[in-house]
Amino acid sequence: MNYFALSLILALLFIWYLTFSANRLDRLHHRVETSWANLDSILQRRAALAQEIAHFREIDPATNLILTAAAHQAREAEISDRSEAESGLSEALKLLRDESDIPHIYPEAFKELDVITDRLRTSISIHQEAVRATLNRRAKLIYRVFRLAGRAPLPVTYPFEDDVL
Amino acid sequence: MVSPYAWDVPGGVQAHIKDLARYFQNQGHEISVLAPALDEKDVKEDFVVVAGRPVAIPYNGAVARVLFGPVAATRVRQWIHKSDFDVMHLHEPAIPSLSLLACSIAEGPMVGTFHVAAPKQKVAFAIAPLLEPVIEKLRARIAVSEVARETLTIHLDTDAVVIPNGIAVDSFASAQPREEWQRELTIGFLGRFDEPRKGLDLLLKALPMIVKSVPNARILIAGPGEGLELMQSVPPSLRSKVSFLGRLSELEKASFLRSIDIYVAPNTGGESFGIILAEAMASGAAIVASDLPAFESVLGGGRYGLTFKNEDSSDLARQIINLSNNPSNRAQLQQRAREGAKRFDWSEVGPEVMNVYEIARGVTEKVSVGNEPRSWLRFLGREDD
Repeated sequence: MNYFALSLILALLFIWYLTFSANRLDRLHHRVETSWANLDSILQRRAALAQEIAHFREIDPATNLILTAAAHQAREAEISDRSEAESGLSEALKLLRDESDIPHIYPEAFKELDVITDRLRTSISIHQEAVRATLNRRAKLIYRVFRLAGRAPLPVTYPFEDDVL
Repeated sequence: MVSPYAWDVPGGVQAHIKDLARYFQNQGHEISVLAPALDEKDVKEDFVVVAGRPVAIPYNGAVARVLFGPVAATRVRQWIHKSDFDVMHLHEPAIPSLSLLACSIAEGPMVGTFHVAAPKQKVAFAIAPLLEPVIEKLRARIAVSEVARETLTIHLDTDAVVIPNGIAVDSFASAQPREEWQRELTIGFLGRFDEPRKGLDLLLKALPMIVKSVPNARILIAGPGEGLELMQSVPPSLRSKVSFLGRLSELEKASFLRSIDIYVAPNTGGESFGIILAEAMASGAAIVASDLPAFESVLGGGRYGLTFKNEDSSDLARQIINLSNNPSNRAQLQQRAREGAKRFDWSEVGPEVMNVYEIARGVTEKVSVGNEPRSWLRFLGREDD
């Protein structure tokens, strides 16, 4: 066994490890994309529902304005501001639910809201976990030195809105 | 779905998988379960695919029968290839088992459910660093209880969504009580009582104290095993107060829980959920359980059943005596328990699991056999499809 063969084997092992790591990261990025797509679709559904609620006959103009504005903001927000904008909507919806009698007049709409809220909660925590795992991995030395992430954008966390939901 | 444990050996995880599969089947989904089995003839469900004979290893205070190895790997590959799944659900993927194998082989939308709760057990998770790249492939994780989730966070450094195990509330609530189990004040225990962590000896130790204040008390013990040895610890004069019923079928179990006055779960540890408590709740039994965190959370912190200090048989006796001498308290507790059990019905739990499946699946994607070797072929320029 000469040194050449040994170093060749080591180099091959190293290359294998690099592709293995890159594969792992690629999979994680995919996971984040999936969970984000899901979270996004649920949030869109909620904004649509909020806009629908805003146009109920019994809603006074001020509430209508607040809800529509919040829903609009939530829909238009950049990904990094999304959580904050959505929290605004959560808060507006929560106020409406707790402090008015609209929920009694439109039980179906608010039942749907409950279903969406439940899903949202699960979806957020799954997305959080995916983002966290990805960020952890990307922070590792080998990933940074060999730029294994390529040009994939850094995933953005979605802070949990547990206080409002 | 993949079961880590032998299908024809009764156990909580297998029962959970069976019920979940049935529920989804009734909802019109196509289900296939891959599981090891001791004897293929004993597997009656048409959705189960047998992967081979498992080997027994001691794990978490019990004997687990698992399957591992190259032959099993081939079976898994064939199964995935043939079935074209939308989502694959792996149970207990953190121990070396069929589930872990499937997780490392497959690629695509996968969900894992973690049943075990052992926050203090280090040895079983010593291989955690090796597991990480595999577990990481799961799109979503489900923990059956807060304790199971804690175990995950400690050992595998990942979080999970908590979805409790489900039960068929109706079949327990509507079971026929049996008169022979209702004479006198009956105290029930159910489980593999020859395992020390199930804590039957605590209950037997409490018996003399109980009988002193409640002369008509009787202990009914159901579950597989020989009771003779345990009987040695009971004073001869009290032996008539204890009856062993042997193994009960699902139906008998429901009527057993329906008939008894008080259900006792003196488990000393290693319990992650305590499905039996949810079942006893649905049957409307008054419950006295040890204060394990898993039990506390099923019992709503004492709302649906009483707890006693773990491994303290005199505290257990005191709680049972209190309940026995106070019928109105008992009735209230039973009523609340029945209400509380609805939380665990499949009609609540099933959609939650389906919701996680949908999140994991994202845009229509299929589960396939992993392509790591193929990416190597591509790298070498030899891929030919």
